[in-house]
Amino acid sequence: MSGGDRSKKKTPRTQGWEEAGAEFYQESYPSTDTDFDVLQRDPRHLTTLLPSKQNRAVAATIKRIRGDTKTFGRHTHTTLRSRRGSTTNRRASTTADIQVSMLPDLSENLSNEQRTWEEIMQIKALPISMAQKKEMKAKLQSEPNLRLQGFEQLKWKRRKMWKKFRISIKESYSKLELWKGDLKKIEGNCGTGVVAYFLFIKWLLFLNFSIFSLVFLFVILPSIIFKNVEQCDDCCSSVYFNQTTDSNIVLDLVQGTGRMERTILFYGVYSNETFSYKVNGATLYYDLPLAYISVTVIYFLLSLFAIVKSAAKGFKERLVEGEGQFYQYCNLIFGGWDFCIQNEKTANMKHNAIFHEIKGFLEVERREEERQNRTQQERTKLFVVRLLVNVIVIVVLAASAAAIYFVFDYSTKQVANTLKDALFSSSFEMLFYEFLPSLSIVFLNVIVPFVFAFLVNLEKYSPLNVIRITLVRTVFLRLSSLCVLYASLYIKVACDVENINSCVSADCATCWESFVGQQIYKLVLTDFATHAILTFLVNFPRALIARNCTNKAAKFLGSQDFELPKHVLDVIYSQTLCWLGCFYSPLLPAIATLVCFLMFYIKKFACLINSTPSVTIYRASRSNSMFMIVLLISYIFAVLPIAYGIGELLPSESCGPFRALPTVWSYIVNIFGTSPMWLQSILFFVSTAGFAVPAFVVLTLLVYYYWAVNSANRHMVTVLKNQLVLEGHDKQFLLDRLSMFIKQQQESQKRLRHAEMMKDGERIVSSN
Amino acid sequence: MGQSKSQFSEEELQDYEDLTYFTKKEVLYAHQKFKALAPEKVGHNKNAKLPMSKILQYPELGVNPFGDRICKVFSSSHDGDCTFEDFLDMMSVFSDAAPKAVKAEHAFRIFDFDGDDMIGTSDLQQVVDRLIGSNHLSEAEMQHLIQKILEEADLDDDGALSFAEFEHIIDKSSDFASAFRIRL
Repeated sequence: MSGGDRSKKKTPRTQGWEEAGAEFYQESYPSTDTDFDVLQRDPRHLTTLLPSKQNRAVAATIKRIRGDTKTFGRHTHTTLRSRRGSTTNRRASTTADIQVSMLPDLSENLSNEQRTWEEIMQIKALPISMAQKKEMKAKLQSEPNLRLQGFEQLKWKRRKMWKKFRISIKESYSKLELWKGDLKKIEGNCGTGVVAYFLFIKWLLFLNFSIFSLVFLFVILPSIIFKNVEQCDDCCSSVYFNQTTDSNIVLDLVQGTGRMERTILFYGVYSNETFSYKVNGATLYYDLPLAYISVTVIYFLLSLFAIVKSAAKGFKERLVEGEGQFYQYCNLIFGGWDFCIQNEKTANMKHNAIFHEIKGFLEVERREEERQNRTQQERTKLFVVRLLVNVIVIVVLAASAAAIYFVFDYSTKQVANTLKDALFSSSFEMLFYEFLPSLSIVFLNVIVPFVFAFLVNLEKYSPLNVIRITLVRTVFLRLSSLCVLYASLYIKVACDVENINSCVSADCATCWESFVGQQIYKLVLTDFATHAILTFLVNFPRALIARNCTNKAAKFLGSQDFELPKHVLDVIYSQTLCWLGCFYSPLLPAIATLVCFLMFYIKKFACLINSTPSVTIYRASRSNSMFMIVLLISYIFAVLPIAYGIGELLPSESCGPFRALPTVWSYIVNIFGTSPMWLQSILFFVSTAGFAVPAFVVLTLLVYYYWAVNSANRHMVTVLKNQLVLEGHDKQFLLDRLSMFIKQQQESQKRLRHAEMMKDGERIVSSN
Repeated sequence: MGQSKSQFSEEELQDYEDLTYFTKKEVLYAHQKFKALAPEKVGHNKNAKLPMSKILQYPELGVNPFGDRICKVFSSSHDGDCTFEDFLDMMSVFSDAAPKAVKAEHAFRIFDFDGDDMIGTSDLQQVVDRLIGSNHLSEAEMQHLIQKILEEADLDDDGALSFAEFEHIIDKSSDFASAFRIRL
């Protein structure tokens, strides 16, 4: 290890300091020229000898030990001694000081087992070679130990056991860890930024899986176990359940119609009963509607909590990073290289990427200057261009929204028509119409981003802003298409309100919740299929062409970057669909889990085989917080309509757990009405102004307090930093003075000696 | 793993587990990786010293612009040749479990080319040169860049980064911990 390396290299200088140091302390300035050789050559070298610049490991050991000295003085000395012997002895004098000042109290000089063990655990942090570590460990172990007694012993044993247990858990977990090898491979080829994306997919997978297990445990399983035969003959539900449509099983599978509609996949089949179950005379109740609604609330809260927690982590990191781009250069130079890269080609790309990033930073600075020097005319021109582009973007967004709306309208009409004269049309034609809205949404999602990417080039933003702006626009595209979908679904759904009394109306779906579920189910399937098809059947041949043709046009057509923002949106979009659909189609989280799982492989294929390593650097920290923010936006977009649906819309008469209720939420209100009086009064009190206003005031005060603390801290940081800089200058000044003084001293010594020699010479001459 | 198990005694493994950030299994796995670099040598002597050129065949180190520096920093004989224990030390520092401070310590040594315990302008220049590979920055750009770096990090204005200053930046750099890592 280089501890020794250093000591070898630095011995001359170090010794110089050692002696010089001692003599400084004695306030007697020596005349031996050799001591100051180094300093004379370059007084700057003094700085490296300052305590703050000494070997950190030694400093760390001392620091650590200082804290604990009182209890195990002698023990620390051994540590220090071994350190000194093994690495470097340049701090010998300091160590000696410590030894003197910390002479062990004899009653306390024996360390106990626990301390020794803790010490051993800390060895691993020292930057010394394994042989030295082993030596230290052996020394520590061979020291006489006090055995711990009684409770202490028990506590220590438990800690050791706990540690062992944690290690074994870690080991078994690492065996089970999903996609470990894949992640390593991606990391080796694309760097940490892209891996953050794949970790994000994994995160979503686990989120969806936990949602699914919640739903499965509390809704699906009970309704399978307690399945009752519907008793009434003339009520609406029997009309719904007895509707028979015989159709192709494959079509049913992809459309969620026919037999599929009557499965647990959709909202419609869930019963509105409170199941009762008799055990030993006592009756247990299971209120399925209550379970249904509370599970929904819980998993939405769970998702929100998970997102906020992850986002907060990223946010904290950003705050620590300082305001914005504070340490951008250092971050790039010292944290720029991904040490996990293992592929020559990627390494080359990384070299280029870092080079471009450096260039980019310098460029930004130049551009900043340029921007200040921009002439009025240029500024106006750029403004007009940007304005124009934004107008075009809005027009494109509006046009795609309109297109989706019309397609949806058209397809529902066509489906209705084909239903009417089912004999004449093939079922595949119907399939086409059924899928038309989903297809058009997906089609727009694929095409329009290209337009945006082209437009953003005209606007001359800085590279980082380009990514952000394209991302925001694309998010808006996706969400606006979803909005249109909501709107058209709402129009379909709202017609039920008008004829409350009849079970089946002519032009409305019998069970609109299942209908909504079906639409989203179809959308999820289409979305997934598009990704699979695009990746394997379009982009893969393109990549092959690019790899095998030397033709420039082919290369241009075929080569593709792994554009992170686009792929992020793909995943987030399917997640939004999952949230949107899971109330109306409880099994959707399971499908989403599966989709995430497969998506990982699709994206891995896209990343490793289809794409060339990207020239843009994606930073792990920055991209992760970006994912979470976009996810949060989509979450809000998904929750709003669901909340509206639960709170306002009239549930279908003929199906689902909430039939014959004015709204879904009214079920909760009814339950609340039957709850014990004290709970009711508490909740009532919470909702009164008497509680709300003080609570609001307290919260505001808290926020204000934290804001004040924050700004005070920020101020403190600047003050401290200024002070550091001042100290640095002082140090510099003193060092300069010191070296000057030493030089003067030496010169005067030399002169003195010279004079003496002269005198001696004179004496000799005179004596002669 | 059975074969390599026989190469280590239980005490040795316990030592390695106590003195690195690895579990016993990971130590054995690391040894497999080490052995794969030179099966004939390591087969005879589990702690054989491999020359730097052999160590640099480890894929992550081979393409790393600081590969030779890493070997030198971790080599117990300071010439870049590594024994298994040196290799284990290296992997332990680069592992996920190693705290940021330990990583920063070693990163500082890796970037400190001339070994004067300061990252000076010449060190910075070398770091940048290695980072950009075959590309070339003009003299003026390089100077500008180095000046910018020092502006950000050199708190006491002495034209070089001391460890304290380096650690300070590393603390604030959220990417460092994720970048300074090699998965075993």
